[in-house]
Amino acid sequence: MLLNIAAVITLAVAQQTDTTVPVRPGMRLDVDNFGGEIVVKAWNQNSVRVQATHSSRDRIDVQVGGSTVSIRAESRRGLAQMVEYQISAPTWMDLNLHGVSTDIDLDGVQGAVTAETVNGEVKCRGGSGQVSLKSVQGAVMLQNAKGHIDVYSVSEGLTLENVSGDISAETVSGDISLEGIESASVEVSTVSGDVTYEGSIKDGAHYHFATHNGDVTVGIPDRTNVTVSVATFNGDFDSSFPVSVTNTTKHRFNFTLGSGSGRLELETFNGDIRLRRPGNLHDKHHDQEDN
Amino acid sequence: MSDTWTDRLSEYIDGTLAKTERGALEAHLADCEACRTTLDELRRVVARARALDDRPPASDLWPAIAEQIGVSSGAHRVVSLAAHRTRRRVTFTVPQLAAAAALLLLLGSGGAYLALHRPPAGAIAQRGDLTVSPVGWVEKTSSRYDAAVAELQSALEQGRASGRLDSATVRVLTQSLVTIDSAIVQARRALAADPGSAYLNQHLADTMRRKLELLRRASALAPART
Repeated sequence: MLLNIAAVITLAVAQQTDTTVPVRPGMRLDVDNFGGEIVVKAWNQNSVRVQATHSSRDRIDVQVGGSTVSIRAESRRGLAQMVEYQISAPTWMDLNLHGVSTDIDLDGVQGAVTAETVNGEVKCRGGSGQVSLKSVQGAVMLQNAKGHIDVYSVSEGLTLENVSGDISAETVSGDISLEGIESASVEVSTVSGDVTYEGSIKDGAHYHFATHNGDVTVGIPDRTNVTVSVATFNGDFDSSFPVSVTNTTKHRFNFTLGSGSGRLELETFNGDIRLRRPGNLHDKHHDQEDN
Repeated sequence: MSDTWTDRLSEYIDGTLAKTERGALEAHLADCEACRTTLDELRRVVARARALDDRPPASDLWPAIAEQIGVSSGAHRVVSLAAHRTRRRVTFTVPQLAAAAALLLLLGSGGAYLALHRPPAGAIAQRGDLTVSPVGWVEKTSSRYDAAVAELQSALEQGRASGRLDSATVRVLTQSLVTIDSAIVQARRALAADPGSAYLNQHLADTMRRKLELLRRASALAPART
């Protein structure tokens, strides 16, 4: 009953804003929100449509400047609290989105993306150029992006799928999963969580996967040319294909696959390191095959 | 992995060994795979440190944090990293090469705040400045590092107390710091038991850097509701 009353009150004070402004190629969209969500769907029109659900005490301010469209909420009584944004923006438009207790969800964008929130998830399907997604308390997911990729969380995991370009992915507590990656530079680290990578291992490229508490599992395609460095303090190494270990020290050893042109560094303090063939990353027990 | 030559490898890299010692070490290297491997790893640490981009922070770190969490920044003078860059020595003349790498990592990620506390140019690389005990670099590095972390944590606590930081966020940050601290403790213990391990040195340095980076990022993300 109380919930019903609360819902009725909420509906009574909720207000809808729906406005559309024209934009020119090269302009950037800036959105600053405290609580709620920011949802951006790309469309093929040179205009930005802002649909917002918010308190009747708040006003949505959409400002069009020379190079930016800036959206924020203003309140007649203090600070605007909760705004649910549904925004349609051109596919080419760069996005610069900031929230506090805000979920951020982007779909179909093709420009550069900066999306940061303190408490909330960040999901982005698309993006190119500089793509930076960060959350303190929330998972970060990126799909179908290319460029310079930087994803970060503090307390949740990171998921990257079908991403190409230079990649940096870091969290403190959470798993990091990368699938369908095309990259010559990948830097991945977590303190407490597993790391999984399935993607290209290119000649002359550099890949670094590190965790303190967790396993590192990497898919190594056939005919890969890479020098592999494996380091673990409390853990085992397991490969589904034969390797010839050289340069062994107490906690680290190296081996070479093919010409050894690329560099692959695998590190876990407490955990296992597994090499698998692509498509078999989650096999706990391997069947030896010829290299 | 430890013999009489292990602690001389960094001097060998720096070219500071006497000619006779250098010849003797090279003869030893020909027969000792462990030392060859350690030498390779130390060279990688040097290469990684040299490759670090100790860029100046996008904005002066401490004033931004202080503003966001509502404490005075007047007592903290921010200096330019760029001004220090040309004076940085990238040679390492102590057995604990990772000490220099750790400091560079901290400077690269911690920004101007730590620059206030860095030693005079070249000091980190001077022989005798760091103790020769196996984990001496940890103690040396940690004093400045701990001071930086303590002040950042204090700033975050003030942000929480003033209501500018949500208590749930502070709780998550605290839990994450505990996670990192646990990793640091484990890495330190492991390093104490195996001080010659380049992996453990690098791992400890990386984990310490991550703690500072977490504080920096969290502070930067902390909302300034104006």
